[in-house]
Amino acid sequence: MIAYSLRSRLLAAAAGAIFVALAIAWLGMIWLFERHIEQREAAALIRDARILVSGLGTAPDGTPWADAAPVDPRFTQLASGRYWQISTTRGAAHSESLWDQSLAPPPRASATEWQIRRAEGPFGKRILLVERSVRPDRGGPMVLVQVATNDEELRTANAEFERELAMSLLLLWLVLLIAAYMQVRLGLRPLARIRTEMDRLRRSAQARLTQSYPREIEPLTTAINALADAREADLARARKRAADLAHSLKTPLAALSAQSRRAREAGAESAADGLDHAIAAVGAALEAELARARAAAARSASANAQASPLEMAERVIGVVERTEQGESIIFDVAIDEALRVPLRSDDLAEILGALIENAARYARRQIRIMGMTDNAAATVSLIIGDDGPGIADGRAEAALMRGGRLDEAGPGHGLGLAIVCDLVEATEGTLSLGRSDLGGLEVRLDWPMMVRA
Amino acid sequence: MRALVVEDDPDVGSDLATALTAAGFVVDLTSEGNEAWFKGGVEDYAVAILDLGLPRLDGLTVLKRWRAEGRSFPVLILTARGEWTEKVEGIEAGADDYLAKPFAMGELIARVRGLVRRAAGRVSAVLTVGKLRLDTSRMTATIDGHPIRLSPLEFRFLDFLGHQPGRVVSAVEIAEHLYGAADGNDSNAIEALVVRLRRKIGPDIVETRRGFGYTLADATS
Repeated sequence: MIAYSLRSRLLAAAAGAIFVALAIAWLGMIWLFERHIEQREAAALIRDARILVSGLGTAPDGTPWADAAPVDPRFTQLASGRYWQISTTRGAAHSESLWDQSLAPPPRASATEWQIRRAEGPFGKRILLVERSVRPDRGGPMVLVQVATNDEELRTANAEFERELAMSLLLLWLVLLIAAYMQVRLGLRPLARIRTEMDRLRRSAQARLTQSYPREIEPLTTAINALADAREADLARARKRAADLAHSLKTPLAALSAQSRRAREAGAESAADGLDHAIAAVGAALEAELARARAAAARSASANAQASPLEMAERVIGVVERTEQGESIIFDVAIDEALRVPLRSDDLAEILGALIENAARYARRQIRIMGMTDNAAATVSLIIGDDGPGIADGRAEAALMRGGRLDEAGPGHGLGLAIVCDLVEATEGTLSLGRSDLGGLEVRLDWPMMVRA
Repeated sequence: MRALVVEDDPDVGSDLATALTAAGFVVDLTSEGNEAWFKGGVEDYAVAILDLGLPRLDGLTVLKRWRAEGRSFPVLILTARGEWTEKVEGIEAGADDYLAKPFAMGELIARVRGLVRRAAGRVSAVLTVGKLRLDTSRMTATIDGHPIRLSPLEFRFLDFLGHQPGRVVSAVEIAEHLYGAADGNDSNAIEALVVRLRRKIGPDIVETRRGFGYTLADATS
């Protein structure tokens, strides 16, 4: 496929079309101009001829005479370019300007109207002449009256007009070309915008082309948006299938570990060990896949999502309070009821659950959960602190690494902190570790404040 | 002791039954929600292990129906997804503990034993202090007949104060009762507990005598 430019195509077409139109206009205008000039000249000649006719007569020998001649001095100057001649078959008379020359008779002269004709004239010049046959005396011979003028001047005038017209039309052509260029540029500008928006679309499955396009381009953008919808739906379906697959494997895994226990009871220790190993590996892979799916879902939902940290913290505490680790811990919740964070309730539950459960594992008596907004920094923050031993300063970094845990020594609960990190990151938040004023670990979560429309 | 196992996967179900039998339970195994609901309603179980993902009648509904009918035996729920939303819903529906699949059988047995032990320790008695009514067998509380959700710690706090009418109990003494030991920082923790408790049951039931301790308001009358 040959790459071609829409712009140069449109410009070439416009240039060609405008040129042809202007050329036709040029031909038409010079034709009109010539006709107009010729008619004006002919009218002047006819006026002179009428003066001749008014005093026309014939001598008895048949030679014509005119006792009234046009007063134009050019008729008296030799070879001036203005001539008249009256002639019969017997003889002729003519203006002084003709000197020894004569005007050639027409092949067939009309007796009823003035005829305009171009012919080879005296002194080797071409002339424009009007002529007509008149019978001045009843019963007398026909007199051919001819008045002529040099054609050269007309031709010069015409040529000049043609040239000037061509120049100005050429100028007009250039102006129109510039206009066409501007038009094409302006007309194609929305396409350039589509390109930048498509770039955004490629990077994010949620992005769409804006609706503010010209009517002609709208079908295209609508089609592209529909395609993007389909892509996003496909993506969501794929993620959901991956998650469903991971979930559906859990029960078989549990069944498999039952088999492993049975094998162990039957004395097949090493087989059971291998089985347990494989089960643990598959389980870890499933958890990782689910965490990925959850983070992806959180990312795609974070645009308009909001959750109440107070409500979710209380609900999660309600769960943790029932566990062995949480049942003797006092929870100090200081979150404003109206506080909202920009993520889905499910994801907030996952984050708070993992963090509060982790805190409960290490807290001695108390866990404090605070929520606050910082209007200057435009952030909304949740802080979970406990009065446990905390973690050594140097280990905070390691704990935050993907897959790391705050409790590398203790019995971990899967990917607890890793999923918190993923979710916080997916919802454009940040997570930082510090020392709580209760004495233990403090986990601080910050999200950019939601812009309210 | 009788245990009800509700699990639709036959392998996991029989594995659970085997392990619980080995741990000394008499196990009823069912794989279907409606049957579980019926059995839980008429039989007397020490504990129930309930899978949430059951065909037809799901586990959460079964649990809610049991609790609505006043069945108070401890219930451990098994969740396939292991999501916190699921755990929250399960606990709010009346479960006492949860485990996510796949689980280690040893941990499940330990949790079940813990549940049974805690339930067995409850003395069947009802304590009334003014508007507050504590049912110590089911660890539930009501104010003017409206049920409120208390954490085990909060329940034990109220129970402790309720059994000492008219006496102002110091934070240290409370901490010693709740934790078995106390140190200087515990008064802050007890204060936090009271603040949280007041948010649930209103400001006037637990009174603070600054410098001395806490007492229940209507206990004197």
